[in-house]
Amino acid sequence: MSAKIAIVGGGPSGCYTAQALLKRAPDLEVDVIDALPVPYGLVRYGVAADHQGTKGVARQFARLFTRQKAQFFGNLRVGEDVSLDELRAAYDAVVLATGLSADRPLGMPGEDLPGVIGAGALTRALYEHPDATDLPHLGATPVVIGTGNVAIDVLRLLAKTPAELHGSDLGAGPSDWLAAQGIERITVIGRSPAAAARFSPVMVKELGELSRAEIQVRHPAPEAEDALNLAAAASSGPLPIEFRFETRPLALEATESGLRLTVETPEGEDRIDASSVISAIGFTCDGRLDRAGLLAEAEAGAASRLYAAGWFRGGPTGAIPQCREEGQALAARILEEISPDPARPGRGLFAGRAGVVDFDHWQQIDAQELAAAPEDRCRRKFARREDLLRPALSQDE
Amino acid sequence: MKIAIYYGTETGNAEMLAEDIATELEDAHETSVADLAETAPEALKAAELNVIVCSSYDDGDFPASAKPFVEKLNDESPDLSGVRFAVFGLGDSEYEATYGFGSMKLADLLVACGATTLGERIVHDAAGDDLPEDLALPWLAGILETA
Repeated sequence: MSAKIAIVGGGPSGCYTAQALLKRAPDLEVDVIDALPVPYGLVRYGVAADHQGTKGVARQFARLFTRQKAQFFGNLRVGEDVSLDELRAAYDAVVLATGLSADRPLGMPGEDLPGVIGAGALTRALYEHPDATDLPHLGATPVVIGTGNVAIDVLRLLAKTPAELHGSDLGAGPSDWLAAQGIERITVIGRSPAAAARFSPVMVKELGELSRAEIQVRHPAPEAEDALNLAAAASSGPLPIEFRFETRPLALEATESGLRLTVETPEGEDRIDASSVISAIGFTCDGRLDRAGLLAEAEAGAASRLYAAGWFRGGPTGAIPQCREEGQALAARILEEISPDPARPGRGLFAGRAGVVDFDHWQQIDAQELAAAPEDRCRRKFARREDLLRPALSQDE
Repeated sequence: MKIAIYYGTETGNAEMLAEDIATELEDAHETSVADLAETAPEALKAAELNVIVCSSYDDGDFPASAKPFVEKLNDESPDLSGVRFAVFGLGDSEYEATYGFGSMKLADLLVACGATTLGERIVHDAAGDDLPEDLALPWLAGILETA
């Protein structure tokens, strides 16, 4: 069957869906469209720079384009460079797998004060996303709100010594920034009891093994075998990382020296002075697409020829394995429902369009980034969009 | 010799390696590839060389697709005497304490059910520079010479 399917978003969800589609029906025309000039979404810009093993799935995704004959259309933002209506007219099915890129707001007074930054914005800057804002000054006593895996990623990177970052792909700018922060203490605020925190135990264990970390827990889980309790017992570095559970943030205010966070605790109201606040309480839609409306259409049935995947569909939970599982289920459903119309042009829609980059383009970028890696790094990312667009670029060099 | 390749995977990397191994061997051997999730322990045959590619996930756990197979080994203790197998592990040395545990525990379980190991289990490190197939193919070639 040579049906034409557009997948919007080249992150793990989009790529696993494409992989599963082509595995079941190798003759499909599957096009993966991404707003960035490079593929892989959160594998490149969300999985932590020091978790290279987790990024290994990118090898599978590369094969989508090199062997399974999917095509990559990068630097093409749906809603700006091409409308969703155009796409839906051109393809037999459209899968929305754009993720959720905005930090969920704290929803309390003072949430927009200077010195408050979302973990998504911070990690985009750390991982050199081309649309990232500048890295902020965190000061000596940052407070992290949230106890999910993104919060733990941030804590780990802030706590690592330069030597502990060897082998990562953390860029020179972010590495210098980390080394210059002079952090003396990190406080982590979680509303839930310790036993109900969202982080994965193995991530906490990893945190406890860092040479500088000294993990402390207020209102710990009762079980001695709890991962955080074990990490607290095992760690004895010079940098206190204090987890405060059952602590609900109420308001932020500016002080002469930074920020003050008012919290509600089992012992009553408390105030925590913070040099900066990092919110890591989940992600939400950036508003570029009408998520609620599109999800309703996608759920309404096969006639919409519209599907949703990953975080865009189900919200900001679930890691790479869930993307694979859901991608397989979604592929099976699409193949059941699809009715190809040969009159639809599919990728012909993009013929002659300026600025669109393909998978060969990414392979050149990839090779150049790997070749440019300094000795203690596995890759040197191009951070600026113009550099990500330049190749074809330095073939002459 | 018929070579039956099985994989236990969480993110698909073990599946990809299993397919690469089959592709490499298919000219010289009869090969098959199956997910452990769809394999009963009794399906492992004494007349075949059973090659198992298995990752680890989370805190040294079995990957999702190996779990039903492992449960059957545990619950039913099938008699696998005469079955010969070789296990190739996928691991991540960032998680040093449980590095390669998935493949190690699976190999131990198979041995406990009477199966025999061929060659030495090795583990590819996702945090390292090698490609898994660059380790796995020579490893398997060595095993085939002696099998």
